[in-house]
Amino acid sequence: VSNPKYVRADGLEKVTGQARYAADLLLPGMLEGRFLLAGRPHAQIKRIDIEKARRLPGVVAVITQADVPQLRYGSAVKDRTLFADGVIRFEGEVVAAVAARTAEIAAAALELIEVDAEPLPPVTDPEAALQAESRLVHPDWSSYTAYDGLVRSGNDCAYVTIAKGDIAAGFAGADEIIEERYTCDQSHPVPIEPHAVVAQWQGEKVTIWSTSQVPFAARSGVAETLQMPESNVRIVVPHLGGGFGGKCEFHFEAHVAALARKAGRPVRVVFNRHDEFVAPDKVNHPIVIDLKTGITRDGAMIARSARIVLDTGAYASDAPSIAEIATMMAAGPYDIPNLDITAHTVYTNKTPAGSVRAPSGPQVAWAVEQHTDEVGRRVGLNGYEIRMRNLLQDGDEGPTGQRMTAVGARACLDKAVELIGYRPSSVQGEAIGLACAWWFSFPAASSVNLKVNTDGSATLVTGAQENGSGAVMGLALMAAEELGISPDRVSILYQDTDAGAWDMGSSGSQTTFNNGRAVIAAAADVRRRILSIAADKLEASADDLEIVDGVVHVRGVPGTTMSVADVAAALFAGGELLTAQGTAIAGPLPDNFGASCSGRVVFPAFADPTFTCQAARVAVDRDTGVARVLELVAAHDFGRVLNPDGARGQVEGGVVHSIGMGLTEGTTYRDGRQVNPHLLDYKLQTAADAPSIRVEFVETSGVMGPRGGKGVGEPPIIAAAAAVGNAIASATGARVRQLPMTAPRIWAAVNAANQK
Amino acid sequence: MIERTYLEPTDLEQARSMLASNESVRIVAGGTDLVVAARSGKAPLPERLIAIHRLKELVGLQSETGGGLRIGALTTHGDLEASAAVAESWTAMSDASALVGSPATRHLGTVGGNVCNASPAMELGSPLLIFDAAVELIAGDGFRTVPFGSFVIGPGRTSALPGELMTAVVLPTLQGHGRVGSAYMRLEYRQAMEIAIVGAAALVRLDNADRCIDARVALTAVAPTCVRAADTEEVLRGKTIDDGLLERAAQAAAVSAKPIDDVRAGADYRRAMVPVLVRRALARALERAKSRRLS
Repeated sequence: VSNPKYVRADGLEKVTGQARYAADLLLPGMLEGRFLLAGRPHAQIKRIDIEKARRLPGVVAVITQADVPQLRYGSAVKDRTLFADGVIRFEGEVVAAVAARTAEIAAAALELIEVDAEPLPPVTDPEAALQAESRLVHPDWSSYTAYDGLVRSGNDCAYVTIAKGDIAAGFAGADEIIEERYTCDQSHPVPIEPHAVVAQWQGEKVTIWSTSQVPFAARSGVAETLQMPESNVRIVVPHLGGGFGGKCEFHFEAHVAALARKAGRPVRVVFNRHDEFVAPDKVNHPIVIDLKTGITRDGAMIARSARIVLDTGAYASDAPSIAEIATMMAAGPYDIPNLDITAHTVYTNKTPAGSVRAPSGPQVAWAVEQHTDEVGRRVGLNGYEIRMRNLLQDGDEGPTGQRMTAVGARACLDKAVELIGYRPSSVQGEAIGLACAWWFSFPAASSVNLKVNTDGSATLVTGAQENGSGAVMGLALMAAEELGISPDRVSILYQDTDAGAWDMGSSGSQTTFNNGRAVIAAAADVRRRILSIAADKLEASADDLEIVDGVVHVRGVPGTTMSVADVAAALFAGGELLTAQGTAIAGPLPDNFGASCSGRVVFPAFADPTFTCQAARVAVDRDTGVARVLELVAAHDFGRVLNPDGARGQVEGGVVHSIGMGLTEGTTYRDGRQVNPHLLDYKLQTAADAPSIRVEFVETSGVMGPRGGKGVGEPPIIAAAAAVGNAIASATGARVRQLPMTAPRIWAAVNAANQK
Repeated sequence: MIERTYLEPTDLEQARSMLASNESVRIVAGGTDLVVAARSGKAPLPERLIAIHRLKELVGLQSETGGGLRIGALTTHGDLEASAAVAESWTAMSDASALVGSPATRHLGTVGGNVCNASPAMELGSPLLIFDAAVELIAGDGFRTVPFGSFVIGPGRTSALPGELMTAVVLPTLQGHGRVGSAYMRLEYRQAMEIAIVGAAALVRLDNADRCIDARVALTAVAPTCVRAADTEEVLRGKTIDDGLLERAAQAAAVSAKPIDDVRAGADYRRAMVPVLVRRALARALERAKSRRLS
């Protein structure tokens, strides 16, 4: 579609080190801030004494909950306060904040803050936490306000179901029933840039430079918690060093703003890696998944029940909507007529979970796709056959009743199988695994302003936020294509809430899907005006005109031209500007069962679903349990692909992250605290571990997205961990039922299988 | 406020006198352990530091009369990895240095730092044990050498005295009767930026009839320090090594391992991995010995 060799505009400054990030900012008089984190999972605070810290020379301000408005906030459930308010509910809870002349003094001051707290037994097992006799993480949960429609009870802050067909009849009609349990450890987004926030007040207005993926959500959070109008809060995001969802939602902007106000000077807080692991309410949920599937002898999956327990940690954050997603992922991209799926979102005394890239997707797909292999095996079908027999097609009814269109699921399976050469391996210890998945596109309101300058170059002013994925950078391609100018003549102003209109930000794979539509609308408007002016001057019908390389031509009539610059200049001379606003509205979700499913607030159905099949060739060292991914192929249905290089980059990065979740990335908890909150023992995949990755697109035409495009950012991370799991099982005959599938766990599974 | 002392001697003489008058000072070379530990909060940055990175006298490899090799304390892992002499004669050292951290760590991290940091997971530890290396130390006008095996005495602990500076490790010659091969292997969960979960170094010396006349094996990350596996060595000495003997020798190493449970691995898993790594390191050492021409 578009220029396939487009080099994104922020590339050069990033690779040459010229790009400036939030932590690089220096303001006159700026102080260094540090947070005192609780360092214990659960305790009743008796007294906090900040006097010694306050009196330390070089300390300018120390604040606690006593210094901010007393109110609860939270996106789904208003269950938290900025600073610990009498109770510590996880080790990363912010208890106090210090601003001092140097970071060293600030650190010394933290040591002088006395926190007298009575330890409480931590709630750590989400299944036990659902029992009636369990200690409550939030004894006052019923007094909290929450989204309309959330079903809450005790430690369960969101109970969600899918009910379709007649589950009892479905199982009664099955020839075989397969039941399995899978569990997933907590994992993390791990952006290479940790959180950093700088706040500066001028009168009643505050400007906050923040590492946010969602600056408008950050703005509302500051306005809500510090009780000021949004018009007095300006969030600016310098270059963002990755996010992967870890920088979604409102996090620490208000803490730093409150600290800067108390200090009367600008304050900068930069997280270290430990704090980045424990404090942000954005980890991948630990999940327990029980699956039960009924299948007929000829391979039709006709009934599935599932129970999903998501460990949401100390606060609900945005996790209730993630429980909705998890239930959709448990149904999978399959046509199963009878479903009974439930999900519980359970408070524990751990770091809160939230919308990390494709939240719940990799974990639930890892369980479901291994289960799919086991179900197929029971009736003699291989990984390809069981999937091809059951994958969704156009016209099928989705899990919550939506009528499926533009379904590339089977084409993705065929493409992946062809690319990897799917067959039993002749090499001992090596095998191929397959996994299919689906995901949604996220309709949201969005808007952009387009300004064409009198030299024919153009500027987009957008509220969309670049997280490093290139989605905002790619907007230039869409504008340029519509205007007939080169994309390097289109600049983009983003990352400032006072400049662009509201945008959902870099979350939900939505930037191109929504802001892209706004860009195309604005550019189409400007194009019409250009053609109309040029048609007059060139004495031709606008329908006969085309714009190539910034010049309007009459099709088939050489020499009759007018440049876009001349059009803009002519308009300007006549007292007019060549500008336009483009908007995208959030279209309706597909028709669905509605209230027959419980707790479905955000995702009653999947808009413009995307489909994928990924296949992994894996070698397992049986003696040690070490698994290496040798090759991975990824076939994706993203609808129409608008920026092929950008989409390919997203797939490659997502695949490597997913392999990490599959094999090495997991948090160990002891006594309610993370044991490995650092990069030596939280093992990300390295470049040396990345396999050969081949990416192919299966093009379909989506309903709502720009030119038929669907969301791209999240889907690539979902299936690879599952494909690797199936390859390990196939290579060893042993199934690993805990994520990540570490070498010791693979080794133990192989030993257990040998002893049978 | 914290008062810090930072000294940066430019030659060995200056370093000697600074150390003599600053006994409680910590020595820093590449900083890949000390600075990382301070940044991560594992151990605070020492208040008194002597940075020895400008002491050219401590850099590089030197052949000893008699065929040994003297490795200056400031020699980096990268230098070791690139040395043809090390690869030819002390191959296990070459294997180990190539595995340390990342290219950046290997460029900055030094042999002296690795030895004095005394981690049970140190990559150079088991190779130094099988090569019977000695550690050279100076203090004031004094000079002494200590066998590596009695230099490292516990996790993070050495027998260096306050004010002593490690200047080199010396690898004795391996020349003599028969053919020698050595190897170091480690179990790793990923292929870069890794730390040993379990490691093993092996050396075998074969006579002209391929009989094992000397065997040395050491284990990494399964005890408070790297340790020799004497029982394994005993099984091999004087025998012709076949698959059965290799397996018996590997199993015999288990008694030398006293692994702990930690976040990287459980003790059971580590214990089970010891014979696997020993078998693999021995097999590679054996293969290397056999590939040498008969003298």
